[in-house]
Amino acid sequence: MINYNRFTLDNGLRILVHEDRSTPLVAMNIIYDVGSRDEDPGSTGLAHLFEHLMFGGTAHIPEFDKHLLLAGGENNAFTNTDITDYYITLPAGNIEIAFWLESDRMNLLDFSDKNLDIQKSVVIEEYNQRYLNQPYGDAMLILRPLAYKVHPYRWPTIGMDISHIRDVRLPEIRDFFFTHYAPNNAILTLTGNISADSAINLSQKWFGAIEKRNIRTRDLPAEPEQNEARSLTVERDVPVNALYKVWHTGQRTSNDFYILDLITDLLSGGESGRLYTRLVRQKKLFSEIDAYITSDIDPGLIILNGKLMKGVDIHQAEESVNQVINDLKEKYLSSPEMEKVKNKYESSNIFSNTSILNKAMNLSFYDLIGNTDLINNEVDLYRKIDRKMVIEAVNRYFNPSNCSTLYYLSSRKQPK
Amino acid sequence: MPPIIPVEPGRIPEAGFALLSNRIPVYMIEAGTEDIMRIDFTFMAGQAAEYLPLLASTTNMMLTEGSLHYSSSRLNKILDFHGAFYNLYTEKDRAGIVIFFMNKHIEKILELAREIIFDPLFPAAELKTLMKKRLRWYLVNRDKVSSLAIDQLFESIFGKDHPCGRQAVQDDFLNLSPALLSDFHSQYYTPENLAIIVSGKIHRNTVDLLNKFFGELHSAGRSIKESGNVIKSEERKQVHINKKGAVQTAIRIGSLSINKLHPDYPGMKVLNVVLGGYFNSRLMKNIREEKGLTYGIHSVINSLIISGFKVISTEVSKKSTQKAIDEIYKEIQLLQEVPVEKEELGIVKNYMLGEIVRMFDGPFAIAESFRSVWEFGLDNKYYYRLVEKIKTIEPDEITALAKTYYKSDDLYQITAG
Repeated sequence: MINYNRFTLDNGLRILVHEDRSTPLVAMNIIYDVGSRDEDPGSTGLAHLFEHLMFGGTAHIPEFDKHLLLAGGENNAFTNTDITDYYITLPAGNIEIAFWLESDRMNLLDFSDKNLDIQKSVVIEEYNQRYLNQPYGDAMLILRPLAYKVHPYRWPTIGMDISHIRDVRLPEIRDFFFTHYAPNNAILTLTGNISADSAINLSQKWFGAIEKRNIRTRDLPAEPEQNEARSLTVERDVPVNALYKVWHTGQRTSNDFYILDLITDLLSGGESGRLYTRLVRQKKLFSEIDAYITSDIDPGLIILNGKLMKGVDIHQAEESVNQVINDLKEKYLSSPEMEKVKNKYESSNIFSNTSILNKAMNLSFYDLIGNTDLINNEVDLYRKIDRKMVIEAVNRYFNPSNCSTLYYLSSRKQPK
Repeated sequence: MPPIIPVEPGRIPEAGFALLSNRIPVYMIEAGTEDIMRIDFTFMAGQAAEYLPLLASTTNMMLTEGSLHYSSSRLNKILDFHGAFYNLYTEKDRAGIVIFFMNKHIEKILELAREIIFDPLFPAAELKTLMKKRLRWYLVNRDKVSSLAIDQLFESIFGKDHPCGRQAVQDDFLNLSPALLSDFHSQYYTPENLAIIVSGKIHRNTVDLLNKFFGELHSAGRSIKESGNVIKSEERKQVHINKKGAVQTAIRIGSLSINKLHPDYPGMKVLNVVLGGYFNSRLMKNIREEKGLTYGIHSVINSLIISGFKVISTEVSKKSTQKAIDEIYKEIQLLQEVPVEKEELGIVKNYMLGEIVRMFDGPFAIAESFRSVWEFGLDNKYYYRLVEKIKTIEPDEITALAKTYYKSDDLYQITAG
């Protein structure tokens, strides 16, 4: 059981605290409720570029990292389609340094052309390293616009086109800051060796004076229901053929999320997953295969991807994937198999919550989606799933008309 | 600005120790709040021991591919059913299996672990499938400039004929047979060669249970042959691997170095952090934060039983390759000639002391930190020495270490792209 306290400051900043005295450290996590879905289609990649700029210092504290390091701390951040998340761990005695630093950069960032130019180059190299210079690195860049026609999930967090990063100017950056970075658009979570009283006092002291800001209203176009199978074939200079299939899902907060997550676990969780057992181990069609559900807040995707063994026809491989899925549509699961995936979920939940940083991130995210108690009762939601719910969900979501397929083929002559 | 309290790692937790009836050593790290456990069954069966390419890693990966009483799929089903996770690993020195599980299932897990470790059958059909899969993974990896560069660096510093340097080729994936794996297994995966590191919530009967499942085992009497492998670094210091169509070039600059047993090692840890071991390092500041040439640049020093090695790694756009290389050497030279400023050294020291606190936060982190000194025959005294060195090292000592250990003539420079 993870106990936590929740407060809201007058300026709208939400604060969560979980005390864990078994560690000498404290983790501080701040979620800003902004991700790449909040960008304009003409200027994508901004949320992520902004995350880089947040380490550029302020007029008041020019070097963010320096003080944190002097305090024995460590920090990083990530951006995805929905959120921007900043996190710090440091020895408990120095926690006030983290408050000082995070409140300062929430208050006002120092925007300079020089810093912007440098971070643009860094992000362009990140784009090159992760997406262009890795075999299969661009697969999701291709799949997103195939699956989404309207919703901003159609572009990746790094940006729809790298020219968007190149072209962005300081006024846009400044505007982005004031319309998204604000106490009333953030959740501050503290876990570890800190009491609730101390956390609330420090929050009031350091964040209390920052004024509310006018957050840009989120009005995202809903993705219309997909009602025809989509597919695309690309050829790339890669060593082996790969197959990608994605299906639209429901919202993160719907109960279907849990059912579909459980189904992807049945399919590919661990070595005893159905896809692995049948298609890697028995039929030897794939060298690896994986399926998972995205944790997107708006309706997300189930993503299946596999790399083919030599000489296997990609359509035959796809057919056998469909067979594994169709089995789930027709036959009820055995109780041991249901039990297996539920046990696995319970166990990974326990292991994940041994880290104060994981606990901080999870608490923040659950609070953002409006149900902080999920930190303790998400396991029950999996426990309540029955065989009938599984068969219904597979039939509802795993339809060809809800599916986009990418045939990612090797352009090389296959050696004998 | 709030005052900063000096970071003090304090007392480092000691591992408990027990011997099973057959003298298998058990190390116990009791910490954490949940009733869970991690057990590392570890052997000196890493890459350095193999007499054929891929032999050590394949033997390790085949442990869960079928055994005396369980087929692979049954074994995995049972482990999954109990919510257990495992991680088979082959490092340069060691190999083994780490299992994470909930304590209520300990008896079943230990029974399966014994089966996995000591009764594998290495079935031919499964081996064939595994090798086909591994070949596909290998082919994908050989498409990454980062893999091409690091594989070449290991070949250059350890030599073509040393198991840690030898690069696998496609034919190597066809050459392993069940008999070869059995032979390797019977030499290296023996009760005499096993150490068990337990961490998490230790119960009163934990050692008794380990004795029940592992205390009676004895090997058939085979002992490990001396490998006789000698490190013979390549002559050529600069190698470029051409990769058609690459957008970026991977750079790896490094050489053999001292390992943990050497008295200079703790000082080298500090030097490494200054150079490229943290986000504010010289290399990051110059090459990423001032010039924007890369998404990341890091340096590490690593310790193996036979030797240590150090590597600087980065990926940069093709046209910036030479510029980045020049800047790397410039930063090294600067460390050799100009003493580090007190302020910068202060930042490094505090960051490193914070890292030490994190290395001992929670049972699993403690277990890993324990193992990384234990395998060199060292104990917590190493960490106390390291803490002392971090606190007291002076700029001059860093300059001297940089001169001794970063001679540019010793460094290998590998590029792929």
